[in-house]
Amino acid sequence: MRQIAMYGKGGIGKSTTTQNLTATLADMGYRIMQIGCDPKADSTRMLMGGKMQPTVLDTLREVGAENVTLEEILHTGFGGIRCVEAGGPEPGVGCAGRGVITAIKLLEALGAYDEDLDFVFYDVLGDVVCGGFAMPMREGYAKEIYIVASGEMMALYAANNICKGIVKFAEEGEIRLGGIVCNSRNVGNELALMEAFSERIGSNLVHFVPRDNIVQQAEIRKKTVIEYDPTCNQAEEYRKLAKNILENDKFVVPEPITMDELESMMTEFGVV
Amino acid sequence: MPLTLLECDVPIPEREKHTYIKKSGETIIPRCNAQTTPGDLTERGCTYAGCMGVVGGPVKDVIHLVHGPIGCAYYTWGGGRRQNLSDNTGFHRKYCFSTSMQEANIIFGGEKKLYNAILEAYERFPEVKGVFVYATCVIGLIGDDIDKVCKNASKEIGIPVIAFSCEGFRGVSQSLGHHIANDTIFEKIVGTKEPDYLTPYDINIIGDYNIQGDLWVINPLFEAMGLRIIGTFTGNASIDDIAMVHRAKLNVMHCQRSTPYICQLMEEKYNLPYMPVSLFGIEQTSKALRDVAAFFGLEEKAEKVIEEEVAKTLPEIEYYKEKLTGKRVFIYQGAPRAWHWIKLMEELGMEVIGAATTFGHSDDYEKIIERIGDGALVIDNPNSVELKEILIKYKPDLFISGLKEKFLSYKLGVPFVNGHSYERGPYAAYSGFVKFAKDMYTTINHPAWKLVEGRA
Repeated sequence: MRQIAMYGKGGIGKSTTTQNLTATLADMGYRIMQIGCDPKADSTRMLMGGKMQPTVLDTLREVGAENVTLEEILHTGFGGIRCVEAGGPEPGVGCAGRGVITAIKLLEALGAYDEDLDFVFYDVLGDVVCGGFAMPMREGYAKEIYIVASGEMMALYAANNICKGIVKFAEEGEIRLGGIVCNSRNVGNELALMEAFSERIGSNLVHFVPRDNIVQQAEIRKKTVIEYDPTCNQAEEYRKLAKNILENDKFVVPEPITMDELESMMTEFGVV
Repeated sequence: MPLTLLECDVPIPEREKHTYIKKSGETIIPRCNAQTTPGDLTERGCTYAGCMGVVGGPVKDVIHLVHGPIGCAYYTWGGGRRQNLSDNTGFHRKYCFSTSMQEANIIFGGEKKLYNAILEAYERFPEVKGVFVYATCVIGLIGDDIDKVCKNASKEIGIPVIAFSCEGFRGVSQSLGHHIANDTIFEKIVGTKEPDYLTPYDINIIGDYNIQGDLWVINPLFEAMGLRIIGTFTGNASIDDIAMVHRAKLNVMHCQRSTPYICQLMEEKYNLPYMPVSLFGIEQTSKALRDVAAFFGLEEKAEKVIEEEVAKTLPEIEYYKEKLTGKRVFIYQGAPRAWHWIKLMEELGMEVIGAATTFGHSDDYEKIIERIGDGALVIDNPNSVELKEILIKYKPDLFISGLKEKFLSYKLGVPFVNGHSYERGPYAAYSGFVKFAKDMYTTINHPAWKLVEGRA
């Protein structure tokens, strides 16, 4: 079982990329569980055909931790993907970070981590604002991290910050950075910049996912690209991403760069 | 002699700064009110403990609702242990209120739960005059807006609901909790009610928590001088009385660690002066009465009260003095009693060979060092390992401390008196002094000590 966590700046397209990726892997025959670690609970929406499922934490709140069953919180979506939403509080109240910890511990206690699974994917809220959102990086959970980013300054800034978190966890555990996934925004010189950035932090660009309107078309229909139109070019791009992740053997402790270095890179590649 | 390092502190050399052997002519104050040194098994409490346990808790007619996990409430409830007596025994300290925050409440926020808890508690006890809500650590982390909840709940039930932001992790000891309680009570309660009438002889007793009824022997002395006590802060206090304390002519301040804050605030806002006093022992109590009398021009009445009280108590004190003279005592208290009692011990012919406080500030240590004799040990925030070494090395005839140290002292065969919550008190003023002396006498002379093996 490979456990993979997807991180990246808020709004960068983590959930979209993750769902398209897991749908593709499922289409290839792999058995997958995807856990959304975001109070918004929209990480598995397209896999579930738009059906909102009860979140782990809502269920826990309603019936108490001891009465939660796997059937209530784990639902099967496209390609047999087992979909879970951790859920969490409304914005501005409580502790969403604690929620992630509680949800994952509860899933574990309920036996959600089935030995038959090939992959467990964690789709984590944009900014690792506190210890709770780093939960999937702790010992015994995800060993591979992929950072979804684009050629925009703030996306790279966030990616670099996430690398700092990975370094901290890598010192004590097996967690490694698997690479950067570019979810293209069509900014100038983006491929070169992303390749250079990936290299500078000691990692590699796993795949450059081009921008394609079909992603949105599919999303509106509550579907992943692979389900909506498996023959289109973008489906092929997600297959390449899936293949690269399947074959990936470069797992590193990243070397985050300074703000100055990041800024000079942006200048160098003509983005600023 | 300079600062010194106890043998057990060799692995924590920082403790030297907190440990001083008094020498006249020096101006050394041991390091205090500072972050606990790692490795030092401190006995300090937390900010919540200082706010709820010390200052807020004694208020007798409000619901003390602990917003947090259940343990925070139970272990600070104080039912049966804390000796802040009140005349509302059917309610005060009898019940323990908590929101009992659990996993799901932490994740989703506890505001609704708190609001419902306030309403539920009030429904059960509609006779209360207010609700005090105390924030524990986790509430500070999840950011429940307890001020807003309390405001809304107050509108709903029509009595004051006061939020104390006293999260345990704030500050270096419980001392900050006292300060927060003072500020909150001043801001939200003081000045919200007016007395029916005023007299030129209205005072408050600030900073006495009515341990085993201290106030019940203190108040009559002032009343006998012709003074009227509007409010006490906070022993046996009603929230309604605290609401009116701003109309007094003088604040008589007893505990000078937990209450100078509110005294200063009242002085600034209401031009209400305050007078620090010691109400322990004949000498200090008499001085306090004389000082207060001088403020009001009641000197003659004071002399009469003092004469009567001294006549009643002095023969007994003389008896105990004869028995206790030459006995060596080590005092470890929260803070001010360590210096309040040095004079009291002198009156009994006893020698204070060491003094310590849990959360004293430098002004407390200045007073200790000014009063204590040369060669005496003054130690800040001692832990039980240090206390053990002190008891063995200095071999005091008596150790006056709190419940936590009682059994350490017993095991080492050192006679012990509980100065925090007393043995058979009250200990304040004249009649209390006799009881204090009697407790010291009986413990020191108890035959049981001869049976303790390995006596220090």
